[in-house]
Amino acid sequence: MRIRTKASAGTMQSSDLMVVVEPSETLRVDVDSTVKKQYEHLIRAQISATLEQLQVTAGHIKISDRGALDYAIAARVETAIRRAAKE
Amino acid sequence: MFAPGSDRPFDRPGPDEARALIESCGLRFEPGYDDLAGLYEQGRLVACGARAGYVLKMLAIAPDHQGGDALGELVTRLVQSGLACGQDTLFVFTLPQNAPSFQALNFRLLAAHGQAALLECGPGLPAYLAEHAAQITPGRNGAVVINGNPFTLGHLHLVERAAARVDRLYLFVVREDSSVFPFAVRFRLAREATARLGNVTVLDTSRYAVSAGTFPSYFLKRLDSRSEAQMQIDLRLFAQHIAPSFHLAARFVGEEPLCPATAAYNRMMAEVLTEYGIALDIIPRIEAGGLPISATRVRAALRDGETKGLEQLVPPATLAFLSSEAARPIQTLLKES
Repeated sequence: MRIRTKASAGTMQSSDLMVVVEPSETLRVDVDSTVKKQYEHLIRAQISATLEQLQVTAGHIKISDRGALDYAIAARVETAIRRAAKE
Repeated sequence: MFAPGSDRPFDRPGPDEARALIESCGLRFEPGYDDLAGLYEQGRLVACGARAGYVLKMLAIAPDHQGGDALGELVTRLVQSGLACGQDTLFVFTLPQNAPSFQALNFRLLAAHGQAALLECGPGLPAYLAEHAAQITPGRNGAVVINGNPFTLGHLHLVERAAARVDRLYLFVVREDSSVFPFAVRFRLAREATARLGNVTVLDTSRYAVSAGTFPSYFLKRLDSRSEAQMQIDLRLFAQHIAPSFHLAARFVGEEPLCPATAAYNRMMAEVLTEYGIALDIIPRIEAGGLPISATRVRAALRDGETKGLEQLVPPATLAFLSSEAARPIQTLLKES
């Protein structure tokens, strides 16, 4: 899937995350999280898995997380990407 | 709060309704915003906040709804409206005791002093610094921050003197478009005038110095406790974040005999910067016809149509611009003001 336009998904509420995706020639993931110290590697692993599943190879993915669980991360990232791909 | 069947939880509250809640929280209601969001529960406004450009303001939450997630909901709504307008990074000015509530929403603290704290969310400062990483050189560097409205021989003198005393001089041009001369023109004229100086790099301040975010009252040229608090924040942000990244050991300013707001800013700058081990060097102004050269003087001359003698006040690049067709609208603007 190709990120064609800027799009976002999610909220800044507790246990949720906000995802903003933008077109970019390379793949870049920026993570802000209230639990970054403890869980950044797991958040990144979940994002990578979702991107791989959707076959996204380029784009700027920005995450602002407040302790969301894996399935929430997957759902928000997927929604943002589908919006950005204009499906 | 998003229970099915309930009223739409968000709405744009009326100004009176918003004003009552905002003032009951001890804040001042200021008209002039791009978006005003309200959070309702059973028809009652329980939280509201506004976004003016990239600045969040008047965030107020009814006492019985504080400590919950009302702030998260409200900020989400304002961040979404910001994103829709291309504002990816948002600033908020708040009391220092409220800073942790914003940090819990992944806002980063930019500076705090006395009764004020400035935070931002989004790509913000780290993205700005990363963008300029390639232009940063090691050594004992210096900085000059100017609005350059427009660039004068006074600015050039300041830059030349400063550049002679440091390894590299960063000339920061205020990004904020609150002046008669648009940013693109101010930036280009600063660049052209200093092009022959090998160790000068011209950069834009983004919003991290003298902007509507860090120092809104600078553009009002007004002195009170509010503008003083903003100056403190503006200077501490510079000292804590900009200076270490650009290896700045000194900041240079022109002596200010004319504008009281700028003179007060310079005095406070000396105090604050020394706290962080940064030197402030005040360079005397140069004169033309017995009076100091300043951008204010150039604008006054343009307003009065006294274009003769401008070459004694501005460098060739500025003079060429002022006599071009592109400067017409600016001259009209000055005459109307």
